[in-house]
Amino acid sequence: MNKKSARILVFSTEKISDPAIDMAGLLKLHYPPTVYTISVPCSSGIKPRWILHAYEKGFDGVFIAADGSDCTYGESCTEKTGHVVGVTHQMMKDKNIDPARLRMAAICSVCSESFVKQIRSFNQYLLESTKS
Amino acid sequence: MAENIETASYDALVIGAGIAGGEAALNLANNGFKVLLVEKDLSIGGKMILLSKVFPTLDCSACITTPKVSEISRHPGIKIFTGTEVKKIQKKSENNFEAIVVKAPRYVIEEDCTGCQLCEQACPVVVRDQYQYNLVGRKAAFIPFSIASPRVAAIDIENCTLCGACEKVCPTKCIDFTMEAVEHHVNIGTVIVATGFRLFDPLKIPRYGYGLYKNVLTSMEMERQLAPTRPFNTVLRPGDGKVPDKLAYVLCTGSRDATVGNPICSQICCMYSIKQAQLLMGALPMADVTIYYLNIRSFGKGFEEFYEQAKGMGVNFVKGKIGKITEKENGNLILRYEDINESVVKESEHDMVILSVGVMPNPDAGGFFGEGELKLDPFSFVHQTDLLGSPPETSIRGVFVAGTASGPMDIPDSILSAGAASSEAISYLNRKQ
Amino acid sequence: MNKKLGVYICHCGGNISDYVDVEKVREAVRDEEGVCLAKTTMFACSDASQKEMIEDIRQNNLDGMVVASCSPKLHLVTFRAVSERAELNKYNYVHANIREQVSWAHSDDKAGATEKAIGIVKSAIAKVRLAEALNPIKIHSEKAVAVIGGGVAGLRAAIELSNMGSPVTLIEREHFVGGRVSQWDVMFTTNQTGKELVTRLYNDLISRDNVTLLTGAEVISNTGSIGDFTLKVKITPRYIRARCDEGYLQKAIDVCPVVVPDEFNFNITNRKAIYHNFPSEYPQYPVIDIKNCTRCGECEKVCGIIDFSQKEEIVEIRVGSVLMATGFDPYTPYPGEFGYHQFEEVITLPQFKRLTELNYKKLIYKGKEIKNIAYIYCVGSRQIEGEVHTVASADDLSKDTGSNQIEGENRYCSRYCCTSVIHTSIDAKRKFGNISNFHFTRGIRTYGKQELLYAESLRLGDIYLQSYENDPPLVYRENGRTHVKINDILTGRREISVTADLVVLVTGMVPRADNSVATLFKLPKGRDNFFNEIHMKLRPVETVIDGITICGACQGPKNITESMNSALSAATKTFSYVSKGEIELEPIIAEVDKELCKWCGECQKACPFDAVKMETSEGKEIAVINNSVCKGCGMCLPVCPVNAIDLIAFSDNEIESMINALVS
Repeated sequence: MNKKSARILVFSTEKISDPAIDMAGLLKLHYPPTVYTISVPCSSGIKPRWILHAYEKGFDGVFIAADGSDCTYGESCTEKTGHVVGVTHQMMKDKNIDPARLRMAAICSVCSESFVKQIRSFNQYLLESTKS
Repeated sequence: MAENIETASYDALVIGAGIAGGEAALNLANNGFKVLLVEKDLSIGGKMILLSKVFPTLDCSACITTPKVSEISRHPGIKIFTGTEVKKIQKKSENNFEAIVVKAPRYVIEEDCTGCQLCEQACPVVVRDQYQYNLVGRKAAFIPFSIASPRVAAIDIENCTLCGACEKVCPTKCIDFTMEAVEHHVNIGTVIVATGFRLFDPLKIPRYGYGLYKNVLTSMEMERQLAPTRPFNTVLRPGDGKVPDKLAYVLCTGSRDATVGNPICSQICCMYSIKQAQLLMGALPMADVTIYYLNIRSFGKGFEEFYEQAKGMGVNFVKGKIGKITEKENGNLILRYEDINESVVKESEHDMVILSVGVMPNPDAGGFFGEGELKLDPFSFVHQTDLLGSPPETSIRGVFVAGTASGPMDIPDSILSAGAASSEAISYLNRKQ
Repeated sequence: MNKKLGVYICHCGGNISDYVDVEKVREAVRDEEGVCLAKTTMFACSDASQKEMIEDIRQNNLDGMVVASCSPKLHLVTFRAVSERAELNKYNYVHANIREQVSWAHSDDKAGATEKAIGIVKSAIAKVRLAEALNPIKIHSEKAVAVIGGGVAGLRAAIELSNMGSPVTLIEREHFVGGRVSQWDVMFTTNQTGKELVTRLYNDLISRDNVTLLTGAEVISNTGSIGDFTLKVKITPRYIRARCDEGYLQKAIDVCPVVVPDEFNFNITNRKAIYHNFPSEYPQYPVIDIKNCTRCGECEKVCGIIDFSQKEEIVEIRVGSVLMATGFDPYTPYPGEFGYHQFEEVITLPQFKRLTELNYKKLIYKGKEIKNIAYIYCVGSRQIEGEVHTVASADDLSKDTGSNQIEGENRYCSRYCCTSVIHTSIDAKRKFGNISNFHFTRGIRTYGKQELLYAESLRLGDIYLQSYENDPPLVYRENGRTHVKINDILTGRREISVTADLVVLVTGMVPRADNSVATLFKLPKGRDNFFNEIHMKLRPVETVIDGITICGACQGPKNITESMNSALSAATKTFSYVSKGEIELEPIIAEVDKELCKWCGECQKACPFDAVKMETSEGKEIAVINNSVCKGCGMCLPVCPVNAIDLIAFSDNEIESMINALVS
């Protein structure tokens, strides 16, 4: 693959991780411009089929910027988001998609640096894995 | 003088449409009261709308002010008069005040102006732009600033040559040189004084060389250089347009200084200077920023952490009292100061000096009512008669004070004070029956 | 189904257009299906642009609008309001963030930024094509309000809510109202006493018909949401029937054999298990401290109104909004922190304030007359990373830390203490004369007009010394006396030592140790553990939990004036939730497809708000969502085995078409 950067779909959350991604911009912390964000209310409400749809349409990777323990909808969010990822990983294996193309990390509302770090390393992985 | 007199009645008159006045007006209107909001300036939003970012969140100030400003300006319960001064207010009885306010002619029909700026392009007159704190010029036909509300043109009649160029290009024919001042006689039930503050005039401290040395600026001038609607798109020395790389802040300029008649602390300068220092470190990564201080007063929520963050970023804090500033031939400045930690007098060279000017009372507030009716405190801020029980109360029943009209405070405190004033005003109006 | 759409791309005065070729974006999207108008604008949020949008919507009969500008956190509401003013349902507006997540994030790659902006605007267009007009869910709102905490902030807020016409229940955990302020004597800057202020507020409050005061009362459960909270309140009895004849009461107190430290005086004095705090606290009825009472019955023998048969009571109240004014605790130093609990001359500022009130003519502590007082500032505030305190005795070791070093974690400044201690030290000098004050500071923070107190203190000859955070003063014993030593930066770091008869630790404010009531309401806390407001600058009394406001020191350290302002502000906000008797809620909630649903209960298990119920519809068991309880988190979506649940505005169709647009 002759791309400089991988195409990554980020599912962010309106109250927690999206503000962090906004702040990454505010602080001019750069990351590849092929990273697109779709914001949802809570990361535990992401359907596996949306993630699979993204791969079908040509995204190299999907990143879930999870609410983590800051979730305004309750403490069960972390566990439930983890469950969504687990289920999706299984579906990916069944479809012969590298499960490592789906990543999740809790991104708090000021975790801009951690977001950018995660995205850069994910991008690196996706570029290397698709090269071979 | 005005021959045009119009009359109307409202539940409340809010004087001053800065962030405190605006918040108070919104609270009243959201609870169903009719409000007249009077602003002397051509735009609402006060000083906050002109700031760069706010401490300690580093939110873009314009970005968080404009939604509030639009909410105020489109609220059906709020009537706004810009370019309007309060001439006199008389209390007839409880819940019954009569105010005379005078709306100066804008020479532009506000409703028809689209803000296209063609008049601005056509106008041949260039004067200093007060909204950019004189850093750049503007025309005599002008829109106050890009995010002004209302964002419509005005004619600066004092500087206008009456050449008529603007009239010719205006697509909506909204320029009208025959406009006159209109006097409004309004009946109201309660008054909120939110006249805000003035900045300390650094010309009163000649040894700092403001006005004499071009690279000595006030903090508000720096604020404009850092704002998203800034004039130069970067930070420049006014003297020669050079990008500065060794900047100094002089805290307590005009505050905690009995020799200039202001012994009190202005409460915001430490924090806005620390904020500007952080923004400068971002804008000019190679620059050194030094803050000369007496005591750092980072007392609010998240402030101490913000101060620590600035130290961590490499902002240099020197506990020192500035004696005198002198200018070198290249425009650089020599600061002579007492280093308090070492108890010695030192000198240091900087290529730009920012005077962190303090908060002074707005003298307008005392003049609205009859002689001595609205009591002022020893510093000429509006006197709060029940500081611990009902902070918004003043010496006149039914008149409440909001924001910095009663003394120095930051934005959240102004919002709280405005919330309190509107709360008291609502109770006062409710007590009528 | 062919919607007519308007698209606006904002320059943001260069914030966007310096990095994103906005004209190119406009060209790329103007021929998208449905787009009948695509414009660029200098400031989309300006009044003039808003006016233009309204005209465009009206003239072209647009069914949908997209504005590509800054983050939706700033202007989503603005543009939704624009569409509403043009009679376009606000959910037919979709916001595209091309500033924070495009122009600023990719200012290093203009071509890439422009490409990304095109994708984002296209996906917003895809979403708006499928968007449906929605109407807010209207729910009834109880007009009543609960105020939790009966300190001065809670009292003031309750009075104002009553003025505005809302019935109020004031719930106070202690048996007396007035909170911390009732413990203070003269206060800065007016020299009124705490007692005077509390008396005034209490008398005003109880004269009102629409106020219910519950003391000894604790909220133990909360159900419901904005407009309709149901609180269960546990009320502990006083075990005393009514106002008691004071002579008999005094006898009852005298005969009580139980002696415990008096918390009202911060344990510098003792009280009995039957006690009152006359004349400072209200209501002026004594209480039996049932936790410490031995039921010996001695008091009953001398005083007839004592009644041990009184039972704990649970009452239920329904309110539309809750105002939290739960206050603060003074910081308690660790044993050994600046000699606290190690040397008997070391006390805290609150203890000192009680001491100055309780003494007349001479300042006596532990039998000794006090002349030299050392004040150590910022104890428990402005602690720096790595600042450790050695715990004095092994018994005091916290079991978790396993070491006798404890690191302070309060980074914040407590705001009121500099002014408070200076005021108290001036007061002590005035009241007792012959007192020398030595202030060991970290830089004085008498902000605003409070500066005058500092100036006065200097005029009265108080001595001020200062150290840095990483070099705090040392309290030590030598030759049978207690001394305080500092490397004073005001005199070029000279080591200065002062012999002190009393060392006052100027302790700051910390969040209430028992803040369990907040957990009932799921109130978020900040880094400093005080309650968090929704926006630090512009919305300081609202919280992310709809219908709950916060005021006073539970939100962060404040002086009384500041607490009053926040109490009055919170009262106005809370009143606006309940005044209309009706509240509008976001219609973004989960929706069950009745055809597909085969009730398995998974969604009910996933819902954190108990919004899903099983119902029988047309002979079939299905899941039904309670509209006023569903918060629209979507947790029920992925668990449904038959994909029968969608979240309104985030349906499969919408999300998948957005994904398609991003890669097109």
